[in-house]
Amino acid sequence: MNDHIETNERGSGMSGGHVLDLKRPIGWLLSAYGVLLTVYGLLTKKEMYAISLGINVNLVWGLVMIVIGGAFLLTAFLKRKKVAR
Amino acid sequence: MAPVITLNAVDYAIIGGYILVMILVGYSLKKYMKTGEDFFLSGRSLPGWITGLAFLSANLGALEVIGMVANSAKYGIATVHFYWVGAVLAMAFLGVFMMPFYYGSRVRTVPEYLKLRYNEATRGLNAISFAIMTILMSGISLYAMALLFNKMLGWSFHASILFAALVVLLYVFWGGLSSSIYNEVIQFFLIWLGLLPIVFLGLKQVGGFAGLTAKLNRELLHAVKYLGTSNNPLGVDWFGVAMGLGFVLAFGYWTTDFLVVQRALASKNLNSARMTPIIAAFPKMLVPIIVVIPGLVALLVLPEFSPAALPTADYNSALILLMKHYLPNGLLGLAITALLASFMSGMAGNVTAFNTIWTYDIYGSYISKGRPDAHYVKVGKWTTVIGVLASVGTAYIALGFKNLMDYMQLIFSFFNAPLFATFLLGMFWKGATPWGGFWGLLVGILTAAGHYILYKLGVLSYHSEMAANFYQAIWAWSADFVVTIGVSLFTAKRDPKELVGLVFGLTPKPKADARWYARPAVWGTLAVGLSVLLYILFW
Repeated sequence: MNDHIETNERGSGMSGGHVLDLKRPIGWLLSAYGVLLTVYGLLTKKEMYAISLGINVNLVWGLVMIVIGGAFLLTAFLKRKKVAR
Repeated sequence: MAPVITLNAVDYAIIGGYILVMILVGYSLKKYMKTGEDFFLSGRSLPGWITGLAFLSANLGALEVIGMVANSAKYGIATVHFYWVGAVLAMAFLGVFMMPFYYGSRVRTVPEYLKLRYNEATRGLNAISFAIMTILMSGISLYAMALLFNKMLGWSFHASILFAALVVLLYVFWGGLSSSIYNEVIQFFLIWLGLLPIVFLGLKQVGGFAGLTAKLNRELLHAVKYLGTSNNPLGVDWFGVAMGLGFVLAFGYWTTDFLVVQRALASKNLNSARMTPIIAAFPKMLVPIIVVIPGLVALLVLPEFSPAALPTADYNSALILLMKHYLPNGLLGLAITALLASFMSGMAGNVTAFNTIWTYDIYGSYISKGRPDAHYVKVGKWTTVIGVLASVGTAYIALGFKNLMDYMQLIFSFFNAPLFATFLLGMFWKGATPWGGFWGLLVGILTAAGHYILYKLGVLSYHSEMAANFYQAIWAWSADFVVTIGVSLFTAKRDPKELVGLVFGLTPKPKADARWYARPAVWGTLAVGLSVLLYILFW
């Protein structure tokens, strides 16, 4: 049993488990949402935001999501560059 | 009845985008699912942050979110017990002490561990009861989702069930556990991004956290102060909270439920497996931000929860009413997508746990042993189809139950609470014998059943339904604990050589990583310390 613990340490790459870098689909999905919300926020009138205390939350939150989604895409991109090198 | 919320094209585009990404992720994993380990355990290759977030999200289903917002409106800050005493300690214990035996012994499932440690009968008992439990739970997710979307959005009940079942079926069939885990990670981010705007807007309207505490009844604002007797909003005394929730239910759920343990088993090495629940513990401590604050805000801003309306208020509608109150179209679609994602991943998690247990512990052990690996992958894929169909069936059974949260707690106190005693003795006491394990588990489950019958007949009474669940768990656990020890004293032990790697004291300790910041024990201690600090802050 003891040697099993040792063999585990070889880690990934043996079979096709973690083949998809999840940072990319998350990054794409969140930035697409961000862009959609930002554009929608820019196109909509102020009256619509009476319920959200007068704040254009679509615009604000859209920008927040672009930043978060962009951060995921950036880390995925940097990692791929590192692997390629 | 007119739907509560009206969505527009932008909202539907957001919902559609999520479904599209899930199906694409599932499809792109299809070609990598070659062996049983790939399909059932993601090839044991995932990094700690992914399994950790999935470990947390597997439990952050929409029912929990909606239910915990409701609990917060009802019980106030005391709801944090479900997160701090009710999870963090158990998660740290799993990572630091138990994971070396789970991951180190290379078992593929929880019942398989029971077979190695005890005997075939114990495994069979656990595998069958767990298979039933997951299908019931998966049906609950499906039913609750269809009900919510029907009432709130006006979608057809039957069409919602069939559509969600089809999407889950597709991506689990193609990608197995990996699909399920990836969806959980995506859901983790969606839940936070979907609900945080409500938290910010709510706090802004009531004047920040200070404004919140100034306007609310003081009993709602303390986690521990009023637990001396059961005369608090929870209706449970400190012993019930500490033992029932903090010890038995929390440890039972977080350390023995295959649905969550499976995520750790998918890790790439022992250290990642041990870090999985510990990584999950940190965001877990913060979840009260998105459930407790909205629950308290609801009491102050929603006319449906004004003091006059409170006696007849439907607490479970609090979150949806807050969405309607604060979110314009656009963000509304995002919040609905977050709920949809957590319903679907709740169901997918149960379906993947079911197909693994069925294929390895029931089909591969009793029905058709020793077939080639590819055969079991095929069986697992088709079991997914059967599991989804069975979930649709149990969704219609759930139609007959009035209160889903109680129904779920009840299921946990039946199966998870006694199982934790079996595990604790199995892992840390080498004297526990095979038949001791079996009879302990059986008597534990029967004790839970007996307690439930006595409670329903009115022989036993408690201040609240929650107190009944907590004490049922305590009784079931104690019965299992005592019977396992009692029977072990009179039955034959296993050869200690067979227990190496399975029991504490017979297993060499895993080598501690030279870098202190990579050690599970360091992070586990930090997590527990932080939750103690939070308790002091919200005493």
